[in-house]
Amino acid sequence: MFTPEGMTRVLITATKSQMEPVIRELYRQHLFHIEDFVEKDSKEYEGYRIGTPLPAANETSRQLIRLRGITGSFGIREDEDVSGSRKLNSAHLKQVVEKELPLLEQETEELLGKRAKIDAQIKEYEQKIDSLRPFQDVPFDLSLLRGLKMFSVLCGYISKPLSLDVPHEIFSSDTKKGKFITIVVPVKDRPTVDQALLEAQFQAVAIPDEEGIARDRIGFYESQILARKGEMEEINRKLHDIRTRHRDLFLACHELLTADVEMAEAPLRFATTGQSFVVEGWVPTQQLERLKEGIHYATGGKVFVYECDPSEFPESPPVEYRNPGFAKPTEMLMDVYSRPRYTELDPTLIVSIIFPIFFGIILGDVGYGAVLLALSLGLGRVMKGEEVQKLAAILRNASISSIVFGILFSEVFGFSLPWEPVLFSRHLNIGGHAGGHGPDVTGLMIMAIWIGILQITLGRLLGMVNHARQDHGSHRVKAVLANLGWIMVLWGILVMIWASFSMPLMPDLTGMAAVVPGLNLASVAGLVMIVLGVLFIVMDSPLEVVELPTIMSHVLSYARLVGVGLSSVAIAMVVNFIAIGLIIEPQLESLTALGIILIVIGGIVLVIGHLLNTVLGMLGGALQSLRLQYVEFFTKFYKGGGRKYNPFGMKKRFVED
Amino acid sequence: MAEAAAVAATEMTVEMVKASQLGMKALGAGIAVGLTGIGTGLAEMAIGSAAVGATAENKDIFGLVLLLTVIPETIVIFGLVVGLLLLF
Repeated sequence: MFTPEGMTRVLITATKSQMEPVIRELYRQHLFHIEDFVEKDSKEYEGYRIGTPLPAANETSRQLIRLRGITGSFGIREDEDVSGSRKLNSAHLKQVVEKELPLLEQETEELLGKRAKIDAQIKEYEQKIDSLRPFQDVPFDLSLLRGLKMFSVLCGYISKPLSLDVPHEIFSSDTKKGKFITIVVPVKDRPTVDQALLEAQFQAVAIPDEEGIARDRIGFYESQILARKGEMEEINRKLHDIRTRHRDLFLACHELLTADVEMAEAPLRFATTGQSFVVEGWVPTQQLERLKEGIHYATGGKVFVYECDPSEFPESPPVEYRNPGFAKPTEMLMDVYSRPRYTELDPTLIVSIIFPIFFGIILGDVGYGAVLLALSLGLGRVMKGEEVQKLAAILRNASISSIVFGILFSEVFGFSLPWEPVLFSRHLNIGGHAGGHGPDVTGLMIMAIWIGILQITLGRLLGMVNHARQDHGSHRVKAVLANLGWIMVLWGILVMIWASFSMPLMPDLTGMAAVVPGLNLASVAGLVMIVLGVLFIVMDSPLEVVELPTIMSHVLSYARLVGVGLSSVAIAMVVNFIAIGLIIEPQLESLTALGIILIVIGGIVLVIGHLLNTVLGMLGGALQSLRLQYVEFFTKFYKGGGRKYNPFGMKKRFVED
Repeated sequence: MAEAAAVAATEMTVEMVKASQLGMKALGAGIAVGLTGIGTGLAEMAIGSAAVGATAENKDIFGLVLLLTVIPETIVIFGLVVGLLLLF
């Protein structure tokens, strides 16, 4: 529960003829975490080389790449929701890959090629239309404007009036971009005309290489585009048809080929000699027998499986979580920080309990809790994918806790429930909606401080266990004592405070007999604890002394449980006050037409305000309580940095053996 | 006349003193939250921009940098705590 899955280092060796059956069996079992072989110069590895892929690798990779091209163009993703479809038999699929798939691929590629061609054609026509557009009002054949020897034809836009004192013919039309002119002048007058055109800010437009009247040509090309688009739709329909009919087949083939490629390339991770191969890796200790039996069966006993002593190897074993189902989703939060190392305690279970509680203390509101619960259930129902499911489960637990604390705090959307708060009151006096006596900030604060003290002490205790498990020799004793030292300093400070001040919800030690003036028995005990604690810390590492103030700041940091929570309550009550107290209620006294509109506006303000506060509350509650785990709790004992257990093989979703 | 007015101005009733103290408390709470808010903002400014840059390079560290970004939030929460303790 608090430790990761136990791993055993296993070495498998056999002749090369057994390589394929061994790989197949390892892949099927999905248990063996391969340690990649790296060629080294050391004596033990003399003569070993990295293996070469199985003969089928090339062909299979080629098929896979081709298939990926097709699935990519169909937009088929591997994580697609395929809940309705059944698994396909792998032997049958092999035949499909050999025979049907190439045909399907060819058909698809042809259609895609056609589509690309039509697309290019449409683009070409559109360009032609663009070049013809300026001439759409020109009433004469475009071919007449080209190839003249005695005359120059100039076409383009002018933005200022044009005055010409040489003989010329001009046709002008108004377009969106300005005045478009087509002007014909004798070649000899060209310099004069050019000067005049320059003054009129003439922008030349090339005469398109077309026969006939521009408007007709535009019409022709437009009809062509329409026809091509029709063809394109037909092709798209065919492609869509292929996608719907063969999606499951594509996915299954993809899975099969991916598996085949991974298997074919596995020898690249093996150490090989001329005739034999060696592969090392990790397997969960509980599954070791299953692995051995499977490999022996697959090879007819022609294999040697050896359990190694893990201490001989520099790599630490890969880490697989071992938690009860309840704590499984929280593993995601652990991975965000860092996976635990193999030898250290796995705090997932503790986090999975404390995180929702903190969330509930911050966002203790039945209304918001219910909204978030509905959201998490909806999210879990609609969205697929492991990560989202875990996130939804975390949110679900958190929102249930929020509802529970909402009942204890007697809060629903910033209003109070029909009973007095069981825990401390968080009702503020905003707009007269509160129960009257205001929030019990002192009580809440002290509760938060207590939570901090307890969690930090727990963290340090876990730190003692971790050091006792991981370290060796004199450092082990020192590190354990240093953690004890931190606990003693924390509690020493507390005892000294209790001896000097009397506070609610905290032990009162002020009444103890004074030893010397100003210091009573408890103060002296506290002082001794602090001094001893500091001594223990210094023994391990003198530099740590500068960290002593963090004892105070980390404990006080838990005040955020109250601070963020109260701000969330305040926003909720302010929204209620603005929407109901200031907008809706005054209208209800004497209802008018304008009043009804204002009431609707008030309703909108209410909904948007609470929606915003729900989002804020969720982010605030989640981030702040997560941060308390990561920063205040984990820094006391947790290092992380474990490698993920990544067994060779895959969970088949579409193919059955 | 002027003397009488000056005497009236210096004489404060208990209610006035209480009200003025309440006002001072509210001001103190406001300053505590406001200044610590600015402090947090300044601190998060640098972290946040670095966090966005880092996330752009490697999306996997989003969770971690989100946490690094909220670390200075402690400052404003201390301000909020002081403010609340002043007011209640």
